[in-house]
Amino acid sequence: MKNDTIYLAGVYTRTIMKSWFQYKVDAVLRSLAVFLREATGIIVIYFTLLKFESLNGWDIHELLFLFSLLFLTYGILIIFFTGLRDFGRTVRNGGFDRFILRPRGLLFQLIFSNADWFAAIGHGSLGIVLFVISAGNAGITWSPGTIIYYTAALIGGVMIQGAIFLLLASLNIYLLETNSLKELFYWNMRKFAGYPVSIFHKAIQFCMIYIVPFAFVNYFPAQYLLRKEDMAYPSIYMYLTPVVGVVMYLAAYGFWRYSIRYYNSSGN
Amino acid sequence: MTKLYPYLAFVKKSFLGLSAYRFNHFMGILNTILRIFIFWEIYRALYGGRTEVDGITITMVATNFILSMGLDSVFFVNDYYLPDRIQNGSIATELLLPVSIHGRMLADNLGHALFQLLFHFVPAVAVSVLFIGIAAPADFSMLLLFLLSALFGYGVLWTISFAAQMLSFWLINVWSIMTIKNVFINVLSGSMIPLWFMPDWMRGVIRFTPFSSIYFTPLQIYLGQLSFSEILHGFLIQFFWIVILLSIGMFLWKKGQKKLVVQGG
Amino acid sequence: MSFIEVNEVSKAFRVSKRSAGIPGMLANLVVPKYEKKQAVDNISFSIEQGEMVGFIGPNGAGKSTTIKMLSGILYPDTGSVRVNGYIPYRQRKEYVGSIGVVFGQKSQLQWDLPVIDSFELLKAIYRVPDEIYQTNLKRFIEMLDMSGFINQPVRQLSLGQRMRADIVAALLHSPRIVFFDEPTIGVDVVGKETIRNFICELNARDKVTMLFTTHDMQDIEKTCKRLIIIDKGAKVYDGFISGIREAYGTTRQVDVEFVEDCTVKPIEHVEIKELDAPGGRKKRFLFESREMQIDSLMSSLLADYAIRDLTVSEPEIEGLIRKIYNGEVAR
Repeated sequence: MKNDTIYLAGVYTRTIMKSWFQYKVDAVLRSLAVFLREATGIIVIYFTLLKFESLNGWDIHELLFLFSLLFLTYGILIIFFTGLRDFGRTVRNGGFDRFILRPRGLLFQLIFSNADWFAAIGHGSLGIVLFVISAGNAGITWSPGTIIYYTAALIGGVMIQGAIFLLLASLNIYLLETNSLKELFYWNMRKFAGYPVSIFHKAIQFCMIYIVPFAFVNYFPAQYLLRKEDMAYPSIYMYLTPVVGVVMYLAAYGFWRYSIRYYNSSGN
Repeated sequence: MTKLYPYLAFVKKSFLGLSAYRFNHFMGILNTILRIFIFWEIYRALYGGRTEVDGITITMVATNFILSMGLDSVFFVNDYYLPDRIQNGSIATELLLPVSIHGRMLADNLGHALFQLLFHFVPAVAVSVLFIGIAAPADFSMLLLFLLSALFGYGVLWTISFAAQMLSFWLINVWSIMTIKNVFINVLSGSMIPLWFMPDWMRGVIRFTPFSSIYFTPLQIYLGQLSFSEILHGFLIQFFWIVILLSIGMFLWKKGQKKLVVQGG
Repeated sequence: MSFIEVNEVSKAFRVSKRSAGIPGMLANLVVPKYEKKQAVDNISFSIEQGEMVGFIGPNGAGKSTTIKMLSGILYPDTGSVRVNGYIPYRQRKEYVGSIGVVFGQKSQLQWDLPVIDSFELLKAIYRVPDEIYQTNLKRFIEMLDMSGFINQPVRQLSLGQRMRADIVAALLHSPRIVFFDEPTIGVDVVGKETIRNFICELNARDKVTMLFTTHDMQDIEKTCKRLIIIDKGAKVYDGFISGIREAYGTTRQVDVEFVEDCTVKPIEHVEIKELDAPGGRKKRFLFESREMQIDSLMSSLLADYAIRDLTVSEPEIEGLIRKIYNGEVAR
């Protein structure tokens, strides 16, 4: 009975792709706009480093590599987690009730019936461009070992951010409106995440590691591959990204299950 | 003066309308402060203990970020004022009102800007000055000229949006265009990288665009970096761009309106 | 044990109470204050397999909440719901495969895509076998006259077309029970007629059990025999539609046109109204059915006067229901 889950995921994806190809010109332009908007910070850091050469010991290629992890993980994330990012709207317009009425897993439907391809292509292609530019020039020795590590770190980074989305989506069931919380805990923290955490105030570093752990999405994995001198944390942290991802995701998933039960008993 | 009265009413309405979204407003202030702090931390790391680079002190850099990002919060422009009305068709009825739609547009934005000045700029800049510090204005007359120049800077920013909004007559959906336009403003106006540190060839390019007139000219006046003749030159450039952009906007407006009439909305 | 059993079900919502000002807002974030709103208050009813039941009530009466509990979206606070042997909110995945729900106000179709793409997606979601899908699709397209727009994007459809497509979308997996929540809202007269005929035929031929909410009494009169009325969360009426007249519509009205002008002498229990000038030819007789029989009125009139024409009218259901909502008739 469960074997057709992958088939259904395929049908969902085909449907979304078809919708997306309804407006080809708009799609291209939108992806380009997202690409450029997200590239703003990188263009700025590029110009800045033409002048200053390094930021706390990180040269431009190393910084671009740091950025690439952020954009690649978001590009992958948003293929799967758009439904959770926009969950508040889905609840408010009754779309979630419709999912309950279908004989499939709720999270499965939420994840596979949505994908923001504009964002995925905009962020993802930026991530790929940055990776291609930086991976060879940042002095990383690519071996089977580092490639496995890199892949695991990418997946972990996706799961960390997925867990944050899932947590915020669950909160939506109690609060109805969580855009401001999302702004505070996700988007603002993400603004810091493009740069080495070591340049920031200790309080911000604490937030980035222990509260909204963006540091595990890009800083610590980049440290493993680049071994910069500003690393002021136990070296075990460089290996923890997948663990943090899995633990956070499981915790968020537990809270999600609990919240769904609350939704059924409270309604909206 | 009586002719201006309806517009003042629009300014007031827009001003008062904003007080309804308190939590969002609060988050907006936090956002501005965080942005200033991020750049401050980055530049502290970049300076790495040096007090000045190329004659630019770190205090000047801090002043750049606090003022340009502070002004950015005041310089409110609703990029979708006209596009929204063209998309939902209400433009047709608005044209029948006995007030100019451009005047309304400006009044609406000014009301918003005034609100932002009092309740966004003041707290955000106060917090930033308290924790980071800012250079004092060169002297009192420069402070006044800075304010005047900032007003013109807003004029430049506003007319860029004004001209760009006219494209919605032809494109209907202008989200991508506006997003790309704002990327140019963010990178080239100096609000994210002080223009002192731009490579020389980029500064050469920027000189021929309106973007440095928005924040950088007022900032340089504030810091006393410009001589009297340079200040005059700066004002003329700002004035030049306002006139050019407004003319482009009005030209497109006339064309677009004709298109609107032909298609019946 | 009936097919659908609703037993003393109640459901209350917590409505958050907002306090003014930033301190109030922050206080709300920490310790939210709520008010209790009783949406459904101790309702019981049962429905047999193959029945078609109209479910009506004014806005906010608790119709949607009841439908949501029956379809498994909400848990009842107290009481129990059992449908087709399932407890909807406990056995969600097993249960919802056997039901279909049409929300007239909320489409489940893919906005940018041709109708057929949404159907294909639903086929995969509900695991509908190929043959059944093809048979159903062919039959429904024919019955609802949809072949003209099946390949058009949903955003280009008229409201009536979209509604027809949405109804088919809820039926492709051959549900045993269908809940319709305002399936004719915003649809023109012809479209409504098509939808009503379709629903009747589905009920008659496939023995699909249906529960039907609407604000259009004609929908109910033309499709259902049985009617449940709820108001303020409580059941007000449950029985045949014709029973409404017996229970509430006790006033009868007879309009008589006499051959010549006349004055009718008073009759006990009957109110007489002049429709022309006083002493004219046209008069209206109003009386309560339990106090006066129509034949005795007629015979007493015919004994004394010559009558050219007469019309007996029963009160309209719609008017009666309005009276029930407004509390003008005793419950």
